[in-house]
Amino acid sequence: MKPFRARGGDVVARLDPAEAGILGLLLDQLDQLLAADDADVAGDPVLARLFPEGHRGDPELAADYRELTESSLRSGKADDLATTRATLPPDGGEVRLDADQAGSWLRTTNDLRLALGTRLDVSEDTEPPDEMTGERDQQLAVYYWLTAMQGSLVDALVDARAGRR
Amino acid sequence: MLVAGPLAPERTPDTTVDEVHDLDRPWVTVVWNDPVNLMTYVTFVLQELFGYDEPTATKLMLQVHHEGKAIVSSGPRERMEHDTSRLHAYGLWASYQRDS
Repeated sequence: MKPFRARGGDVVARLDPAEAGILGLLLDQLDQLLAADDADVAGDPVLARLFPEGHRGDPELAADYRELTESSLRSGKADDLATTRATLPPDGGEVRLDADQAGSWLRTTNDLRLALGTRLDVSEDTEPPDEMTGERDQQLAVYYWLTAMQGSLVDALVDARAGRR
Repeated sequence: MLVAGPLAPERTPDTTVDEVHDLDRPWVTVVWNDPVNLMTYVTFVLQELFGYDEPTATKLMLQVHHEGKAIVSSGPRERMEHDTSRLHAYGLWASYQRDS
């Protein structure tokens, strides 16, 4: 991966074919998660993290909030995912994003990190794996790859914003 | 571009109890610490959504990081619901509550 950099008004990165393939698979999995029924949200820790309670301690307010916001949250995430997929070169190569597309990538890669981080029970003390000895190590490696990519995207967007001033 | 609300944590010393309990501003939006969201990302989102300048957004992000939570906006309940949902769209761990 060549990390994201601000270029003109856009942000640009380059993905290896294998990286683009993994990201595509993760997008498929997120797509399936987002298509799950509302009833599943409470039972699944990842969905509970992607659609958090709006109010803590008052079930009635929390239910009101969910009714009011969940469908638009869900469709927003689905739109971001679709934009990310449409701008991801399936066989790798340059990713060039305008400001709106970059916002979609930012939110979608964050959802992927939240989903993976929740499944892997990542804490502030979790460290990247030294060697790949099992499936968890591989998934952690993907998590940290996503972290590096999203971190470079944030930095590039901060640079792009400074450039507009 | 969204207009920033007044920063709830920064009350002036001469704020009276009555003003704190002003019925127009009894609700707050809270961002909670979580182990996944990047510090740079949280700062970026707070600037993007609330129009905070970089030092203010960084200060709030550090408060979330070190103290476990920070109030990022205050106002009527409907607006706090809205702010919470905008933060949820970015994956921040947020909720709204009556100001204590």
